Amino acid sequence: MADAGKKYLILADEDLMSLMEAGDADAFAALYDRHCRAAYSLSYRMMGERQAAEDLTQDAFLKVWRSAAGYRSERGSVRTWVLSIVHNRGIDQLRSLASRRRTQDRVKQSAPRSQPSEAFAETWRNSQRDQVREALNTLPSEQLKILELAYFSGYTHVEISELLGLPLGTVKGRMRLGLKKIRDYFDQKDVAVPR
Amino acid sequence: MSPMDDKTFHELKDAYVLGALPEDERAAVDTYLASRPERQAEIEDLMGVAGLLALAPPEHDPPTELRRRVMSVVASEAARPRAARRSPALSWLGRLGGLRNVALGAAALLVVGLLSWNVLLQGDVQSLRSQVEEARTAEETQETREIELGGAWAEQGARAEVTALKNDRAILVVEDMPSIPDDRTGQVWVINNDVPEPSGLLDPSGNMAATAITKPLGGADAIAVTVEPAGGSEKPTTDPVLVKEL
Repeated sequence: MADAGKKYLILADEDLMSLMEAGDADAFAALYDRHCRAAYSLSYRMMGERQAAEDLTQDAFLKVWRSAAGYRSERGSVRTWVLSIVHNRGIDQLRSLASRRRTQDRVKQSAPRSQPSEAFAETWRNSQRDQVREALNTLPSEQLKILELAYFSGYTHVEISELLGLPLGTVKGRMRLGLKKIRDYFDQKDVAVPR
Repeated sequence: MSPMDDKTFHELKDAYVLGALPEDERAAVDTYLASRPERQAEIEDLMGVAGLLALAPPEHDPPTELRRRVMSVVASEAARPRAARRSPALSWLGRLGGLRNVALGAAALLVVGLLSWNVLLQGDVQSLRSQVEEARTAEETQETREIELGGAWAEQGARAEVTALKNDRAILVVEDMPSIPDDRTGQVWVINNDVPEPSGLLDPSGNMAATAITKPLGGADAIAVTVEPAGGSEKPTTDPVLVKEL
């Protein structure tokens, strides 16, 4: 990467994707460096331990490399696409685990705290993260819990209903309200939902 | 499952974008969206909101060793021809040409069967469908997923589907299968890192066949079927007639 020149550092993600499609491993390296932290953090949150998080991150990034041609910019940013791959494969893995390591303790983890960015390039992305975290902080705990159980722990709505002893309709309603409240947060700030 | 109506879609769409639907409901929503393209923008918008959750976790730096491992694989694949890189497990399938076209050419496939493990199914379609419905309610078949295969046979009207069960078990059912000579057999291959592994024989009864897939699909790159001499081969000797990248 260091020998590949600095051009990759200034290219947009979409341009890196185009280069990857043409077989440019250095472009992939640049993309990996930009998004590995977010991907690994999501992986770690979903899998709950380091080795599984590493495996999921590796699996997802190899999927990114091999499926670069499948990216469609009109459906969202490259980062969103990368993280959706992490999420989807994480859900698959969680559901296939013979012994789920998901516990109530993980569900009840407190809202994440931002950490200082380590590079200028991260500033904008960190700003978006902060907005998202702030939006999540506006959710009632019962809505946040259900979103977390679904999104990070891979439970289906029926499983959440059973786990929490709530009617299925209540679970669906809280999912709907939780997502709506996140959207409302950005609408009220007159900020577009990051994509 | 009967077609989904608008009311059910609205009830399920939030769980859908959160990844919180079981496989059958997720597939039903996919089918609904395929028939209602005007809903696509709505669901993508909602996916954007749900996707924000991915930014929320506490941040962790991935180990540098992980980067080395990933780049090692990528560097090795970057040296290959483009088609092989995109589908490293399928370079031997390259003779078929245009996997993307194959996928596009694959018709919508029916869910045709779930079987007990290690049981070779041979029977009529109606019987299979009955077993499907029974099996779907059984504990063993919770959390299944269906994988449609495309390829030359699909273009000829065959309908082929892998049903992946829990614990890395899977079966392949082919309906309206083209006839093959008596001294030949369909052979299933699970491909990992460009290496096709023999994974079951597909001996037809009438115009259909089914077999357990003997190699795990978890982590595999693709599944394919070729026509081989009776008894099967150690390595594929013909172009695939069915294929699906995983």
